This record gives sequence, structure tokens and C-alpha cells, in this order.
Amino acid sequence: MDLRVPSGCFFVILGAILAAMGVLTPGLRAPLTDVNVNLYSGLSMLVFGGFLLLMARRAARK
Amino acid sequence: MKLAVVDYVILATYFAFVIGIGWMLRKKVSTSGDFLLSGRSVPVWITSLAFIAANLGAQELIGMAASGAKYGIMTAHFYWVGAIPAMLFMGIFMMPFYYGSKARSVPEYLKMRFDEKTRGFNAFTFAVMTVFSSGISMYALGLLLHLVLGWDFNMCVLASAAIVLAYTYLGGLTSAIYNEVLQFFLIVAGFSPLAILACAKAGGWQGIVSRLPANMTHSWHYMGSASENPMGVELFGMVAGLGFVLSFGYWCTNFLVVQRAMAADSMSAARRTPLIGTIPKMFLPFIVILPGIAAVALAQMTGAGGAHLYNLPLKPDGIHTDFDQVLTTLMARFYPAGLLGVGLTGLMASFMSGMAGNVTAFNTVFTYDIYQSYIRKSAPDSHYLMVGRMTTIVGVALSIGAAYVARSYNNIMDLLQFVFGFVNAPLFATFLLGMFWKRTTAHGAFTGLVSGTVAASLTWGLTVAEGKGGVFGTVHTFPSVMAQNFWIAIFAFGTCFLVTVLVSMMSAARPEKELEGLVYGLTKIRHDEGAKWWQRPAPLAIGVSVMVILLNIWFA
Repeated sequence: MDLRVPSGCFFVILGAILAAMGVLTPGLRAPLTDVNVNLYSGLSMLVFGGFLLLMARRAARK
Repeated sequence: MKLAVVDYVILATYFAFVIGIGWMLRKKVSTSGDFLLSGRSVPVWITSLAFIAANLGAQELIGMAASGAKYGIMTAHFYWVGAIPAMLFMGIFMMPFYYGSKARSVPEYLKMRFDEKTRGFNAFTFAVMTVFSSGISMYALGLLLHLVLGWDFNMCVLASAAIVLAYTYLGGLTSAIYNEVLQFFLIVAGFSPLAILACAKAGGWQGIVSRLPANMTHSWHYMGSASENPMGVELFGMVAGLGFVLSFGYWCTNFLVVQRAMAADSMSAARRTPLIGTIPKMFLPFIVILPGIAAVALAQMTGAGGAHLYNLPLKPDGIHTDFDQVLTTLMARFYPAGLLGVGLTGLMASFMSGMAGNVTAFNTVFTYDIYQSYIRKSAPDSHYLMVGRMTTIVGVALSIGAAYVARSYNNIMDLLQFVFGFVNAPLFATFLLGMFWKRTTAHGAFTGLVSGTVAASLTWGLTVAEGKGGVFGTVHTFPSVMAQNFWIAIFAFGTCFLVTVLVSMMSAARPEKELEGLVYGLTKIRHDEGAKWWQRPAPLAIGVSVMVILLNIWFA
């Protein structure tokens, strides 16, 4: 098993959930946050998860 | 703090993934070696991350944020001084003997190098230690979740133990290691936003420096005397006690971490495991300690209407600060629903990585070093696989028991933490002499180890710090418990070292032929001639050293 596949999937799912939260409830804030942190962290997790999946695919092709 | 539906969804997704990884790996287990040692087949990037994740338990995360708020940037010494040098030493100098000797565990190396009694002593103390440390961290997690979320203590303890049991039982060490990597990613994903947000709100590092007392934002500047810095330790005690004895004792001899490197797929990968691990390790303070430091600055700032941005959490008595709650209260101030779920899941992940580390080290030491050595010597491998699996269940059950012991006797935790200290401290002297001085004998090692442990208890019993210790009288008073711990370690190490040398000189040496592969000078260490320079251990270690020195200068 290539660990990059399940971890990649996990972060894509997590990123999608957070990014969706960020888009659907853009005004959601904690007492001390000033920005849409769900959106930004969701997008970074999507990128990270996608990167892991891409690496796994490249390794599988070889 | 209240959780939203989305937070529970994230937590549930995480649980599904860790158990799923265990389920997918269950087919890889057909021998006891697969289950307990991963069949020495894990890629190096995975062992490297697991190496540091197994040490990054929930207590570590909660404790580092707490120490950040209490002591400031000096807490980073636990990483830059108290971990990196030892990890480099372990990869460069010690791994060739651990991996090359084909020992299956650290106690088994002691058996090969010395004798049965030294192994027995180490295997037994280690087994007890792992059960208690996973129990205590379970207790800490249950208590925190109860305080912060109002969850039932019993439910937290039993549910989290059940999940760890499920995936370690299914896939053994491989499953624990693979999940540790996922957990490490999740810890970073869950806590780095907190570090960024808290630091930005406090006006960046410059803003923090302008609000905090100077001795909390300099790691070396106030080390001259114990009274000037918040930790209450002086330079020699810190460098020798923490940086040498305690950290080398932990990183180089504790089977919990050594086991991760031993699971690597080649000697070169095993040596590079702790070396590559140092790279994320040196930046962890920015994720785990910085939020605590920023919290102190935030507590001094006021927002619109004059209210404080953040108040340091108080203990139930309403007077003393409860530093252990800094991390979670900070999360509640900065994380909206969604990210809060990720942060909480990260905390859960850290707890599980620490506990699975303890459980997998415990079942290996019990199966090979206690059961196979003392209870049933020659049985078919399938029998030991069964024993390994059963020990996993027993280990989890004992940890749960230890969690309840810790809950009913609060003072026991102080005592145990100190016991861990004096079991680990003399051990490094035994290994150092055993690996690098061929004249060291089994009797020397055993008497050294026992007298080192006795020296530790005497030091503790004869000194006082913060009103604790001094059971046998008071010879010296330390400025802080931490200084006392460091000095206990120094005395334990020194005594073990001297006694081992003296007794070895008086007892008969082992023939050199028997020591091949176990001792420096009698072992051929391959230097990876074919490998690219950046794949070799030495250049990697030099690069890491330069980076750590720069970090220390930056925050001096």
C-alpha cells in the first residue's frame, strides 16, 4: 500500500469540507479571527492532498 | 467550547481513515516479525516522520504550549538542545549497531552485548514505563476533553483506546507507523493555523517581543544564572542534564523511538531515519510552543471596549493559572466551526500516535524479551504472533488501568514522571560504554545500571525543589524542579559511567570475536559508497547542525 493514497484522499476530503464551509458561510468567525480561515486552510489542505495523490500516481506509473 | 456538526463529521472521517488504514494493512501480517517489527520493510520518509510523531503525544502538545506560556522561547531548548543533537548521534553512531546486530529490540541488543540480567532489567523497567506513560497521557486527554467539551471521562478514555487497539491489532507496527505519519500531517494541519493566527494577532514576533519580559523572548541570553530566567536552570545543568544525559538517554536508547528506525528497509534508511526526522523536528517549536508565547502577549492586549483579547485560563481555585488549558482555550478564541474540528482532531491524533507508539513498543518487548526469554523459549512463530496480538490487547487494557490509577492518585503522576527520569538517565552511560568501549563487561554494565538508578533516587531523596523531594534529608535546595531533574540525571549518568568502568576493569573481558557487529572498532560500517552525497548520513547531519545553530543564534 502506498501511504500517499489514503493520506492524500484524507486531506482532499478535509480540504473540501473546510473550503465548502468557507464558501457557504463566509461570515463565520471565531472571536479573534478577522479572515475567512476555513476557506484558506481548506484550500491549502486541498493542495496538499492533491500533491500527495499526484506523487502517488507518478510512483505507480513507473 | 461547543462543537458544530461539521466538527463531528471531521472527527468521524479521521476515525474512519485510521481504522481503514489498519484494515488495508491486515493482509501484510503473517509472521510475528511482520506484526512486531514491520518485517523491516518501511520506506525511509515514513519511518522518519513516524520517528518524531511517536514522541509527539497529546501531553507533549499540551505541555509545550503550556511551557511556552510559562517559560517563553526557552522551551525550544527541549527541541534544539534536548532532541536534535541526540537524534544526529543516534543516526550516525548508534544505528549501525542496532540495525546491524539484527537485534529485534533495544533490550535484545543488551542481551547480545552483555547478558541476560541486563536485558531483563531493561525489558522489565521499559515495559512498566510504557504502560504508565500511555495511561497518563490517556488520563490527560480524558481530563482535558472533559474540561473543555464536557465529554464524559470514561467515554473519552475507552473510545480512544478502542480505536488505537483496533488499528494496532489489525496491522501491527506497520499500521501504527503508517497512521503516525497521517497523524503527524494532521497535527501540523490542525495547529499551524493557530500559530499563524495567534502570532499575527499579537503583532508578529516583534509585537510579542515588545510585550513580554525580555527573558521570555531570548533562549540563551539569560542562561547565566538560574535566578535570571523563568525556567530556574543554569547553563551547565541545562546543557549537561537536558542536552546530554536526558536527551541522549531518551532518543538513543528508548525502544519506542528506536523501533521506528529499526523498521526501515535498509541500513542506510535506518541511519537516515532520525537524521531526516530532525528537519521537521527543529521547526516544531514554531507550531507547538509559539501559540503559548503569543497567548501571554494577547492576554496583555485589549480590544474595542477595553476587554482583554484573551485571558490566561485559571485553575478551579481562581488564583493560579492553569497552563495546560492554554492550547484549547486559544483554539476556542481563534477557530470557527470547521477548523475547530480539525484542531481537535489534531489533538486526538497526537494522543493516538503517542499511545500506539507505547503499545507497539510494549508488545514487542513483552513478546520477545519477556515471554520468549523467560516463559516459553521455543515455540513456532505463529505462537509468538498470537502472543503479540494478545499482548496488544493486554497492553491497551493495562494502559486504561493506569489512566484510572493516575486519576485517583494525583500525586502519583509527579512521582512517576520522576521515576521515568531515573530509569532513562543511567541507561545512556551503559550504551555509550557498551557500544564504544569493547572492554565493558556484562557485570560492569549491570552493576553500573543499578547503581546509577540508586544514585538518582539518592539525589532526589537528599535535595529539595519547590517544596518537593528531601525524603532522606536536605543537602541542597534547587531553584526549580526542572533544575533538580537535570541534576538527578547528571548524577545518575556519572555514577553509572564510573561504576561500569570500574567493575569492567575488575571482571574478565569477553573475547573480541563474540563482539563483532556489536561494538565500535570491531564492526565494519558500510559508508554507502554508491550513494549520492546528499543520501549519505554525514553530509545530512552537517547540514542539519548548521540549520539548528542558525536557529539558536536567531533566537538567542
